[in-house]
Amino acid sequence: MTSSPSETETTVHPLQEFADAVAGAVGGEAKIAFDTVKVRVAPEQWVSALTTARDELGLVFFSFLSAVDWSAEVEVGDPPGDEVEERFELLAAVGDLGAGRRVIFTTDLAKDSPVIPSVVDVFPGANWHEREAHEMFGIEFVGHPNLANLYLPDSFMGNPLRKSYPLLSREVKPWPGNVDVEPMPGGDEETTEGPSEENPEA
Amino acid sequence: MVLDQDLVRHLSETSVSVELETEDMTLNIGPQHPSTHGVLRLVARVDGERAFDVQPVIGYMHRGYEKLAEVRSYPQITTLVNRIDWVSGYANEVPFIVAAEKLLEIEVPERAQYIRLILTEMARISSHLVFMASYPLELGAPTPLFFALRERERVLDLLEGVTGGRFHPNFNRIGGVKPAYGSGSSTRKVIQDLPAGFLAETRDAMDKVTVAVDEINSLVAGNEIILARTKGVGVLPPEVAASYGVSGPNLRASGVGFDLRKVEDYLPYHLFDFEVPVGENGDCWDRWHVRLLEIRQSVRIIQQAIDGIPSGPLQAKVPKVIKVPKGETYVRAENPKGEMGYYLVSNGAQGPYRLKIRSASFSNISILPWILEGVLIPDIIAIMGSLDFVLGDVDR
Repeated sequence: MTSSPSETETTVHPLQEFADAVAGAVGGEAKIAFDTVKVRVAPEQWVSALTTARDELGLVFFSFLSAVDWSAEVEVGDPPGDEVEERFELLAAVGDLGAGRRVIFTTDLAKDSPVIPSVVDVFPGANWHEREAHEMFGIEFVGHPNLANLYLPDSFMGNPLRKSYPLLSREVKPWPGNVDVEPMPGGDEETTEGPSEENPEA
Repeated sequence: MVLDQDLVRHLSETSVSVELETEDMTLNIGPQHPSTHGVLRLVARVDGERAFDVQPVIGYMHRGYEKLAEVRSYPQITTLVNRIDWVSGYANEVPFIVAAEKLLEIEVPERAQYIRLILTEMARISSHLVFMASYPLELGAPTPLFFALRERERVLDLLEGVTGGRFHPNFNRIGGVKPAYGSGSSTRKVIQDLPAGFLAETRDAMDKVTVAVDEINSLVAGNEIILARTKGVGVLPPEVAASYGVSGPNLRASGVGFDLRKVEDYLPYHLFDFEVPVGENGDCWDRWHVRLLEIRQSVRIIQQAIDGIPSGPLQAKVPKVIKVPKGETYVRAENPKGEMGYYLVSNGAQGPYRLKIRSASFSNISILPWILEGVLIPDIIAIMGSLDFVLGDVDR
């Protein structure tokens, strides 16, 4: 089910040809990791890349649009590691309705002014996804017909999915105590293995 | 008495002109309305009997799972994702746990994969049976509810027997599955597997579900009122559905034979023989009928899986404290409601750096402003019901 790294290094990934074709058509760079094709484009190519994907590559199904906040300093969770490039990574996943090919287009937005043209005219389904990304990450989608809050109350302050936004319940009471993960009950062996026997009566 | 014809004409013309001067009214439907399946609010501009500019207002159920996932470990997150689409809680776990296994490059034992597959299809059957129960009810036909919920209970009992939970099984572990029976440290050496008689009982239940589906079909398919209220109502063209991200049975009802079970490898569906039912017109009736046919296909899959279930362990060897290596992947699955996917970004810690939850109902009801434009008010209920959404799956 899963592809091992040695496979992807020595042999060409079965999706490589497709990934290169997409990257060539939209003018971006393709990357395949764990059976997921990502094509990175420049922000000014964002709308044209998704239009090309829909009209020329047959990627007519709009799956989702969201973002990742890459941030060296985080209020919640674990930091991403040392060599992180501070940015918002915008994601838009599209796919076809035949062979099941799918691509996640990404583009990098500056932390201080995340602004990008809206793709609502290309995929009308992006409307709600962009509203969600707007309230959760503070990304500005230029040309969106109604960039109002989708989930949050109108008076809500801040952008909750930014890494700089604290999880308030954790501020009040650290959870669950000193360690984040409680030890599993029973035994202190290094690895756990399931039962080797099966139920003959099943 | 002789009617003054001039007076009659004058009065009727007056009443016509009064009718022409109606004002548009803004109508709030919900958030506490039985037909909205939870707390969905619709704001519609009503002109006579027709609704325009329908705007769904969502967010009453928003629980912030994407933020919570950033401070939870992987085993803890499976309990959260159970609660996204609670009508088929089990099916939500699978793509998430498969995404984590993909980054860990763990090979899941075959028997565990078969059990996951059987339970996923049982979740699909129970979810579709809830639809078979609620949709005719919304159209004014309460009888099918009793047939559907009786069978759903049969399926849920089996699910409960294996997982210990009816709605929130929390059954998948990274690397395999964990049956409830015999769990816990003191009984670890005791058999932890499917409960006794599970396979035979499931086979029996599948036969009964097939019969019940035929019964429900005979109750509904011959009912002229239901046919009149669903045929040709709420037609969704396939290209519009795709551009809004409408997936699953709603997309297939529009004639697109696209099923992620056929193209993705999250569970070994390629080993089984099943068809992908499609509709012709994309109307409410097709969305009902496709789900009905899908139950039969799920029964077929389960029967084949029971025949072919291999023996072996239920759990791969994994470290006690699991740290998922750095990486990003998107795993999507054909859930009862449509495409359910997890975009998982790991930074090598015990929990994800970012987890984007792509839920089916969210995109499925984003079509509402388009599909409800200009429809009759009673048709709003018929169309919304036919889309089969769950508010937990919309708001996450």
